[in-house]
Amino acid sequence: MGIVLNTLLIILTAISIPGVINRTRATLAGRKGMPFSQHLLNVNVLLRKGAVYSTTTTALFRIAPAIYLGAAIVAALMMPVADLYPLISFKGDVICFAYTLALARVAIILAAMDTGSSFEGMGAAREALYGALIEPALMIGFATLALFCGYTSFADIFAHEQSFDMHLTIVMLLVAFLFVKITFVESGRVPVDDPRTHLELTMIHEVMCLDYSGIDMGMIHIAGWLKTACFSMIAANAVAATCCFHWWFAVPLAILLTGLSVGIVESTQARNKLANNTTFIVTISALAALIFFIGYLLKLNINI
Amino acid sequence: MFYITLLSALALLVAVIFLTPLRQKMWVAFVAVVAAAIAIAFPAISCLASGAKELEIISIQSPLFGAESLRMDTLSALFSLVIGIAGVATLLYSRGYLAHYLDKKSSAHISLHYTALVVLVVSMMLVVISSGGFSFLFAWELMTIASFILILFDAERQQVLRAALAYLIMMHIGFVMLVAGFAKIYAITGSGNFNNLAICFSSGGTLPIFILFLLGFGMKAGLFPMHIWLPEAHPAAPSHVSAIMSGVMIKTGVYGVMRALWYVVDAAELHTIGLIILAAGIITGLWGVILAALQNDAKRLLAYSSIENIGVIFIGLGIATLGQAAGNYMVATIALCGALLHTVNHSFFKSLLFFGAGNIYSQMHTTLLDRFGGVAKHMPMTAILFFVATIAICALPPLNGFIGEFLIYLGMLDSIRAEVNTIYAAGGLLALALIGGIVVLAFTKLYSTIFLGSPRDHHVAESMEVDNYRIAAMAIPTVGIISIGMFPQFAIRIVEGVANQFFPAATATIVDHYIVPNLWKISLTAWLLVLVIVLLYIWKSRAQRTRIVEQGPTWGCGFTSPNIRMQYTGESYSEGLESIATSLTQNTVEGRAIGKSEIFPASHGYSVKHKDKIDRLFAAWWMELLRIINKRIMRLRTGKINHYILFALLFLVAIFVLSLLNLI
Repeated sequence: MGIVLNTLLIILTAISIPGVINRTRATLAGRKGMPFSQHLLNVNVLLRKGAVYSTTTTALFRIAPAIYLGAAIVAALMMPVADLYPLISFKGDVICFAYTLALARVAIILAAMDTGSSFEGMGAAREALYGALIEPALMIGFATLALFCGYTSFADIFAHEQSFDMHLTIVMLLVAFLFVKITFVESGRVPVDDPRTHLELTMIHEVMCLDYSGIDMGMIHIAGWLKTACFSMIAANAVAATCCFHWWFAVPLAILLTGLSVGIVESTQARNKLANNTTFIVTISALAALIFFIGYLLKLNINI
Repeated sequence: MFYITLLSALALLVAVIFLTPLRQKMWVAFVAVVAAAIAIAFPAISCLASGAKELEIISIQSPLFGAESLRMDTLSALFSLVIGIAGVATLLYSRGYLAHYLDKKSSAHISLHYTALVVLVVSMMLVVISSGGFSFLFAWELMTIASFILILFDAERQQVLRAALAYLIMMHIGFVMLVAGFAKIYAITGSGNFNNLAICFSSGGTLPIFILFLLGFGMKAGLFPMHIWLPEAHPAAPSHVSAIMSGVMIKTGVYGVMRALWYVVDAAELHTIGLIILAAGIITGLWGVILAALQNDAKRLLAYSSIENIGVIFIGLGIATLGQAAGNYMVATIALCGALLHTVNHSFFKSLLFFGAGNIYSQMHTTLLDRFGGVAKHMPMTAILFFVATIAICALPPLNGFIGEFLIYLGMLDSIRAEVNTIYAAGGLLALALIGGIVVLAFTKLYSTIFLGSPRDHHVAESMEVDNYRIAAMAIPTVGIISIGMFPQFAIRIVEGVANQFFPAATATIVDHYIVPNLWKISLTAWLLVLVIVLLYIWKSRAQRTRIVEQGPTWGCGFTSPNIRMQYTGESYSEGLESIATSLTQNTVEGRAIGKSEIFPASHGYSVKHKDKIDRLFAAWWMELLRIINKRIMRLRTGKINHYILFALLFLVAIFVLSLLNLI
């Protein structure tokens, strides 16, 4: 029962976040904006359409969306919602989670390169580099959680009894902050990437899917939502672990945390110059290492 | 007696191979290797199955270091199985690869090549089953010389000759260190056996001896900064030779380090050694992978990736040693299993990748990435098998690369959560994560510039799929890749015996109660992943059946005449990384890039090569020094017999005086 509820809540989170982002942006810009479920309607249309495939492409191009979405689904099945249990859980599933998402990334990169388009090559090259640089942040983030909670699977890390502890609160909030930052990078949002830009030369994620249409495009959108939901759920779980560890607290938190922060950042900030992105991402990794170190010192009970 | 038998067997082999008709030579060599593989598989499998501590095959009376034996323990068994499998696949592959050389090269040349190939496989087996001392060094040297001959196959090319000589020189520097190491054991204990290392280590002075062995074996394994022979030798050697050298031969270095490590018991020394190994692994891994991502030659890229994988293995080994030093056998066992499994895994996917590179080389006679593009359409089987290897080497689920790296990661996370060596484990984790990320960059670059997109050269259109023998040879590692990836809970049993040899008290419990249940779940996850992907694809294909699905040109973003030359090349793909990693390489630029102010650019030639900085470091002072010393010494070579007699006399007098003074 818990597992079914957990899965449904992840899906709920995944489909709500884009809606919240859009509403936030519209409100802040003073526009009426699109309805909350517009992105669902858009994907519904896509899923009912035919497709156009480039003659340059191979069979890999047609399989890639299935791999992309499949990997995102399996990764999402590893994600617990606060006190609930996910379908897949074992010791070290944090590693499996990161590498399953890497499989998704490889699939979409290869598909982009398969079209032989210079624009999609640009997107693929950037995605590969940024993906490589964000990986240490992700792993050290997990390591901080493992260090502090003494477990190596998401479910155990978040679900075991936490007594209120100042040190834990500090580290958990820092980890939550880290994962919100990682969410920006992994889901291709401002300031790293702007999904709404109209210049292919400066895109990252969107430009890789230029040649996809119909069902394939729909699958890529769904996979993107799932990925975002996973990362924001990690952040929300970390926050929830410090105060109110229940699913009814974690789900709205995950939706609002990412939804509002992405919405606000996208309304107030411009995207980085592409050359500055590497610095931005390496800074996140450095931040992760710093948080780990602070966590270690706190764990050793050293006063800082 | 043993050496006489060995040498006469070698003579017999040479005679048979040289006398067989040209086209049958391969089969003779193939039968020899299969026979050797089967012969060694029996004791190896029985050893692994029973977990026997030491199974003596024959004992040898060696001329130098006293009594030795060929014996099998689980560590030897694991490596000899890997060697056997890779050897069979390599021989099978060589048939197709060498087919078009048969008319160009002389019959003796081909015979020499096949003899060396058999000798290489057999000598590697001898290396891993020798108990040390003279027989070990003998087999080690035989292995070096056989591989040297194999690299020399295309000796007409200047570059091949240089690479082979560099290899020979570096291997012998390593060899001297090993000789020194064994001489040291012999001096202390009176026998050159590995087993006597235990006595050596217990009598103090572990670190110098261990470092001697680490340097000697590290030279073979390609540890930083001794890796520079790899990226030279692999592009020079024929692809099947690269496959066996990179997939297996460099692992004999790993074997040697593991063997020496086994005898270290003191916790403080284990800690120091663990740190050294971990640091070496981190530096080697990062250096290898960054350089790999910058290469624009398929085989150089693969060679650097081998260096990176050795780094990963050493990271695992370092974490295991640190865990052992801290008395945390959980961490030690998991990380050791990871390192061992990664060794096996790497032998599979790296040989598959080199075979794949061989396929495209034999069709297009180049390995420069930017000459390819869209090869998948002409060589579909190669493309599929190469794809499997790419996913495996990127350590992605559901294939075998993931399992090995997962165990290493798990060891590090367990180390962190248990708060033993936390900072070191975190350093390893950080490095491995970065390595994992950049590997994806390197191999998506490799795969996509070769197999995907539009052809960049007209030769691509003339290429076609290779013969079935080569595909069959590639299927052997592919089976290993998929089965270890999908059934890791059974694959772990292969390395369990070895871990048991290292940590007899703890392994069985940890493997049964911690690793295997986890791997069961990973296996189920892998199957679930495959199932979900297949179902999604079937659903999509069925849905598209009733809809309009069209073909068209790639979307050009409003530009009406895009052409092939606008495609992303390998160089442009890794440009972002290059801008970060510029301090690691020495770039040589030919031609001039198009400047920003050129509105109507004329035709330009522009090529960039990223050379390893270490390479230059060596070339600069080391080679210059050698040359100067050599020049000085050459003055003694006067060509007059009376001078030479004088030198002999001086030598004798020196010996006499030194012995009078009790110096020697």
